Amino acid sequence: MQRSLIVLMKVLPRVVLYGVMALVVPFYMLINRAGYRATYRFFRERMGYGPLRSFAGVYANHFVFGGVILDRFAMYAGKTFRFDNAENDLIMEKSAEPGGFIVSSSHVGNYELAGYTLHCSGKSLSALVFAGEKKTVMDGRRKMFSETGISMIPLMEDMSHIYEINRLLDEGQIVSMPCDRIFGSAKFVEAPFFGETARFPMGPFSIAVTKGVPMIAVFSMKTSLKGYRLHARPLGMSGVTRAEKVASLAASYARELEDVLRTYPCQWFNYFDFWKK
Amino acid sequence: MEELINKLKLEIIDALNLDGMTPEEIEDEAPLFGEGLGLDSIDALELIVLMEKNYGIKLANPADGKKIFSSVKTMAEYIAANRSK
Repeated sequence: MQRSLIVLMKVLPRVVLYGVMALVVPFYMLINRAGYRATYRFFRERMGYGPLRSFAGVYANHFVFGGVILDRFAMYAGKTFRFDNAENDLIMEKSAEPGGFIVSSSHVGNYELAGYTLHCSGKSLSALVFAGEKKTVMDGRRKMFSETGISMIPLMEDMSHIYEINRLLDEGQIVSMPCDRIFGSAKFVEAPFFGETARFPMGPFSIAVTKGVPMIAVFSMKTSLKGYRLHARPLGMSGVTRAEKVASLAASYARELEDVLRTYPCQWFNYFDFWKK
Repeated sequence: MEELINKLKLEIIDALNLDGMTPEEIEDEAPLFGEGLGLDSIDALELIVLMEKNYGIKLANPADGKKIFSSVKTMAEYIAANRSK
């Protein structure tokens, strides 16, 4: 299926596949009940939309999500995109400084595509990824990553990813980690998010504090059929105790995530009740 | 060795924010990960950094780490044999 999609991407104009997707989305909305409910509630309760606007928002969300997936395979198939990398300066500046840093990834927009275009002179970028992805996706990523000098750190049972992250940060390199999904370690940190407390994975923030490295939140948001805009923002850390520092970093990340989502509400791709305790 | 084990227990409690826990509550040979203290991958990084900062021991091999971090006793034995601080 996924290999066929790459082949289709090579022979068909993207707009054709987008057109097919527009027809498929309503059926997917019917099947994906849990995702539908979570997204509808996001628009109703977090964005404050009315019922009709929320329903339209769910459709738009699913459409953009499909587009983001298609774009990923389009990239694997060799297609190009327009990237507005105005905020890439922050990453360039940090890359020029000694010492490593952590880049937060999120399930909004199309972070994976951002990774292929980030320019980090003098430093390598390694992304912590879930090891259970399908082979086609991993092969596609490996191909793209090898061309852009990015490497993957699969999250492993034997905790080898932790040793790798430690080594890379010691060597002054960049490590990218998902900050909006609790996976690997079950530990979490709570932060205000859209007016209510939500749980974020403790790992990335804890590692930043332990290793004494800064964090940058990076969001790559879809702006048109072939266009993306990169947002890179520094995360602030305050407090005296370790727990306070971890909590402040998480709160800073949650603020940036909320800010970006208020601009691009249809690009929130966490299809579960994010605020469930 | 007994002194090192007790010192290590205090350092682990401090590094991992195990508030309210006393060294006496950590058994020398109890597993640190999974059962026992129930530590996970985030804690593993804390222990790796602790070994480096406090004892000058740099751990890079996950297989070695698994053996070394089996219990406080195995950690102490490794530190006693390999410390540079």
